[in-house]
Amino acid sequence: MKVPAAFRSAKGIVGALVVLTVLAVAILAPLLIPADWATRMDMRARLAPPSWAHPLGTDQLGRDLLFRVLLGAQTSIFIAVAAVMMSIVIGLPLGLISGYVGRTTDNVLMRLVDTLLSFPALLLALTISAVLGPNLQNTIIAIGIAFTPFLARIIRGEALRVAQMPYVEAARTAGNSDWRLITLHVLPNIMPAVIVQATISLAFAILAEAGLSFLGLGTQPPDASWGLMIQASRDYLDRAPWTALVPGAAVAMTVLGLNMFGDALRDALDPRARGEA
Amino acid sequence: MSYLLNRLFSMVLTLFLISAITFAVTNILPGDVAMMIMGTQSNPEALAGLRESLGLNDPLLVQYGRWIGGMLTGDWGTSLVFKEPIAPLLLQKMTASGLLVLFSMTIALTCAIPLGVWAAVHANRWQDTAASSTAMLGVSLPDFFWGIMLILLFARGLGWLPSSGFVDPADDFGGAVRHALLPSLALGLGLMAHLTRMTRATMTGILNQEFIRVARAKGLNESTVVWRYGLANAVGPVMTVAGLQIGYLFGSIIVIESLFNYTGMGWLTYQALLNRDIPLIQASVFVIAAVVMLSNLIVDLLYAVVDPRIRLS
Amino acid sequence: MATDQTPLVSIDKLRVEFRGEDGPIVGVEDVSFTIAPGETVCVVGESGSGKSVTSLSLMRLVEFGGGKITGGRLSFSLNGKQIDLAQTGSETMQAIRGDEIGMIFQEPMTSLNPVFTVERQMTDGLRVHRGMSRSQARERALELLRQVRIPEPERRLGQYPHELSGGMRQRVMIAMAMACEPRLLIADEPTTALDVTIQAEILALIDRLKRDTGMAVLFITHDMAVVAQMADRVVVMYRGRLVEEGPVERIFAAPQEAYTRKLLAAVPRLGEMRGKPAPEPMRLVGEEPARAAPPPADAVPDPLLQVSNLTTRYPVKGGLFRRTVANVHAVEDVSFEIGRGQTLALVGESGCGKSSCGRSILRLSEPTSGEILLDRTDIRALSARDLRRRAWRDMQMVFQDPFASLNPYMRLRDQVAEPIRNYRIETGGGVEDRVADLFDRVELPRAFMSRFPHELSGGQRQRVAIARALAVNPKLIIADEAVSALDVSVQAQVLNLMMELQAELGVSYLFISHDMAVVERVAHRVGVMYLGRLVEIGTRQQVFENPQHSYTKSLLSAVPVADPTQRTIREDLKFRPIPSPVFPLDHTPAPSVYDAIAPGHRVLRGDAGLGAD
Repeated sequence: MKVPAAFRSAKGIVGALVVLTVLAVAILAPLLIPADWATRMDMRARLAPPSWAHPLGTDQLGRDLLFRVLLGAQTSIFIAVAAVMMSIVIGLPLGLISGYVGRTTDNVLMRLVDTLLSFPALLLALTISAVLGPNLQNTIIAIGIAFTPFLARIIRGEALRVAQMPYVEAARTAGNSDWRLITLHVLPNIMPAVIVQATISLAFAILAEAGLSFLGLGTQPPDASWGLMIQASRDYLDRAPWTALVPGAAVAMTVLGLNMFGDALRDALDPRARGEA
Repeated sequence: MSYLLNRLFSMVLTLFLISAITFAVTNILPGDVAMMIMGTQSNPEALAGLRESLGLNDPLLVQYGRWIGGMLTGDWGTSLVFKEPIAPLLLQKMTASGLLVLFSMTIALTCAIPLGVWAAVHANRWQDTAASSTAMLGVSLPDFFWGIMLILLFARGLGWLPSSGFVDPADDFGGAVRHALLPSLALGLGLMAHLTRMTRATMTGILNQEFIRVARAKGLNESTVVWRYGLANAVGPVMTVAGLQIGYLFGSIIVIESLFNYTGMGWLTYQALLNRDIPLIQASVFVIAAVVMLSNLIVDLLYAVVDPRIRLS
Repeated sequence: MATDQTPLVSIDKLRVEFRGEDGPIVGVEDVSFTIAPGETVCVVGESGSGKSVTSLSLMRLVEFGGGKITGGRLSFSLNGKQIDLAQTGSETMQAIRGDEIGMIFQEPMTSLNPVFTVERQMTDGLRVHRGMSRSQARERALELLRQVRIPEPERRLGQYPHELSGGMRQRVMIAMAMACEPRLLIADEPTTALDVTIQAEILALIDRLKRDTGMAVLFITHDMAVVAQMADRVVVMYRGRLVEEGPVERIFAAPQEAYTRKLLAAVPRLGEMRGKPAPEPMRLVGEEPARAAPPPADAVPDPLLQVSNLTTRYPVKGGLFRRTVANVHAVEDVSFEIGRGQTLALVGESGCGKSSCGRSILRLSEPTSGEILLDRTDIRALSARDLRRRAWRDMQMVFQDPFASLNPYMRLRDQVAEPIRNYRIETGGGVEDRVADLFDRVELPRAFMSRFPHELSGGQRQRVAIARALAVNPKLIIADEAVSALDVSVQAQVLNLMMELQAELGVSYLFISHDMAVVERVAHRVGVMYLGRLVEIGTRQQVFENPQHSYTKSLLSAVPVADPTQRTIREDLKFRPIPSPVFPLDHTPAPSVYDAIAPGHRVLRGDAGLGAD
């Protein structure tokens, strides 16, 4: 019920618009644009600068960058959303149990999570991806696992805070079972924090996918993702900088939109984070 | 003192867990060291012999025990790709990466703190909007995108700095700095944006605290209030965040060092991962996690130095 | 007071606005009053009255909080000239702040900079305003610390704020504000966050400093009792406007405005219940009197609740493996009983264990030892499952913070219905009817049933919390500081509601409170707690009219009375700081031994090492 407040700031509106646009592109582009438009090679126009025929230029194989970046959205967004969902599916119960049950369970789980946090997320994702063999599915698993400890930590902190609130104690004396307490009283009250964290994690997941693919340990051709496009551009930076700039801008715009929306969401849901007296 | 002992004990336990996780993750790999050494086309009998002599047929726990024993005694094994002992190799690459971390952290902190404080002082006015928007853009760009832009501008465009390679500071200090500058900037710009946001958030919180009002009520001028009373309280939290970012840096370093062909820890780890050089992957992943954990420990101890509430409890 | 003098401050038609999301919000409007040299003016009002905004405007600190003075004059007499503080430039303002006008704030815990030493914070003002050298400033700081009677001043200078107690920090704050001998001291709720004994000391200190130095004091408070003790003149504010102004005796004896009368009526005055056998509802002007009052206490032949030798300790974890290294002795060998349809009040200062005691009875905190019998059911022997099914069917709790005790994401109807469904009090359509009945009972419109908590005021939320507690027809309600967070008029309404419910339903209360004047009105019996022990227990009349334990006596002497003709706040008040309740693991405290003074009146023998003499 407080969520609409996120749309009151310019930051929130712009962020939401960008996110919606990117989502629309990711969903609609594969339906509206024939897949071969992105793979059709124009050998006479390799590494061509932006022109009427190719508004955003072409890559080293003469493929149209506009269509490639539009169709690449699907892969990048799908990986990010799936990875973040995976980290929530694992991290939410872990964090909830740790924060709500406390004691030894909490000590053991959080010791493990803290240890995992010592591994840089990108290193962890790269290692998992390299170990499992890089492909689309394993990229999702790698990023999902790498992000889980962050999420579990944040959810655990929130669950700990909420579990000590008087309304949870009151609900306990109102005869609720642990299951009802967790699902009806604790969970709804940590959801704002989860939603905010999920939004920000989406931004990070898109960056991580780009990084993985850039190193060749993420998405593999023929799947086209933005990170992969930037990787392909590395050897042609001098002659055709737009081959890097186009997918780079797409990543930056999406992440910026998510960050802005996430920020506005946090401001709206958590008055403590607001920079006002 | 008991705090220190406590932390040290906890550190040993964490190191142990780090090693266990590293070993577990790398052992899911299909194929093994013997296969890597002899190639897939090798004679099965010879392969079995090598497996036996390398102890690969032992239970995993025994293998882990042998590995951790080696790590503790300084015998870190030999890299399959580089055909060199791992320990000295890692040490050398770590020094190269340390230079990058140091440079980028310095660049980031010296810009982020003044900028963040300035934004917090002008919270919700145009100065804040400008600084915060720039910082927001900064955290939204991938590091390698910064890197590519820097290469295009400073190396290809202006030709001021080399775009690739590493020079040992012991051989040529000036050259080392010139080669480290662009990758450091690429790492540092995103970091700077992040730390600016954190400094702003921390300072906004502090500037709304009662003791700031008290300082003003004493008749102190605004710059004393902000830069002494305020900032003194922000140092600890900002330092903690900066410390946590060392972990993030060691992730980014893999991408940036590959982009700049800067042969440090990140580059080495990347080569190990690409070539499935198992002993090298194990050692470098372990070392990076240990370094990250140690730097967080040092930041925690430094926090106690700047904050009397922790120091004296 | 000397009225022929030119005033030190004269505020004329002050108007302050704040930036709001939908245009400016008026914080203060058309406020005018004066402060003469050497005079104490108290500005009193409930939350949102604009009393703090007024004082911050005088310091021009309101601008740092997003406010703006948009009208009126703030004349201040400086070096024989009148200057308008509302028009003064920032440099002149800096010279005036801390030099001509000193200010102290509400929260001693947050008003000192945690990372600087006391010396640094005390001397920087002196060095700016007086140009003193480091050693001169240090000397002056020592002198000031002695003036505010801080023990071991030399040592304090090198300490950090977190090493000092709350009362000590507020003394340091006062010393800081006094550093340049200001002609006006602004005190913004300086004792609200403090315990009553420390409040008495701080009030006495401010009063003495005022007499010694001849400075004027502008005292901001919500507490009419403090006003009665401190003020020469009173300014009453309500919703950003000045309601009434006048000498303190006149305001208390013959208030002119309806709001002032209402405010004063709602304030309980310690001692006014002398000689009365039963609790009495609070007075409320302009509202119908309470429907019923609880009956007097009879002897307790068949008590509802019997607590014997209750002890609750919390482990302090630390060291390797997070072992238990010490224990907080929160409740130590406490015994009492509560009769049916009666109220036992537990009083004491923060950390005395009164809340832990309430929570232990419900087993929200697990007791270490002792016996709890509710209607002859042994509560401590119940399994977790039976605790839920049986004990909480008969005992409910109302918490202090009305903003935290309701789930923000659940409709009020569902929150009140939960215990009804869980305990199968009603089923099907009966649940809705019962919820509606409960809303009627606590005098809330039924339309509120489908609302969420954030749509209600603090008092309304507390009514919902009471309705939820009543839903199971409990025999006992534990009210933990249930009215402490409410404004005084709302507090009176909620207290009256609780007393009505007791008269009608025969419910018993364990009423946990720090407010002696409120307790005097609502309790049949009173227990005084100190450092985890029950030091005295008896009927209200026994404890209030014939206190026996030294701690009870000092506690009663520290309570400010809302009557300007009874000024009890004196300089010679001296209270011992409360010692720490943390003891090593092998510490075995002596059992509590009581002397019977009269039937039902028990007093802890000796001080049991409490040090309250």
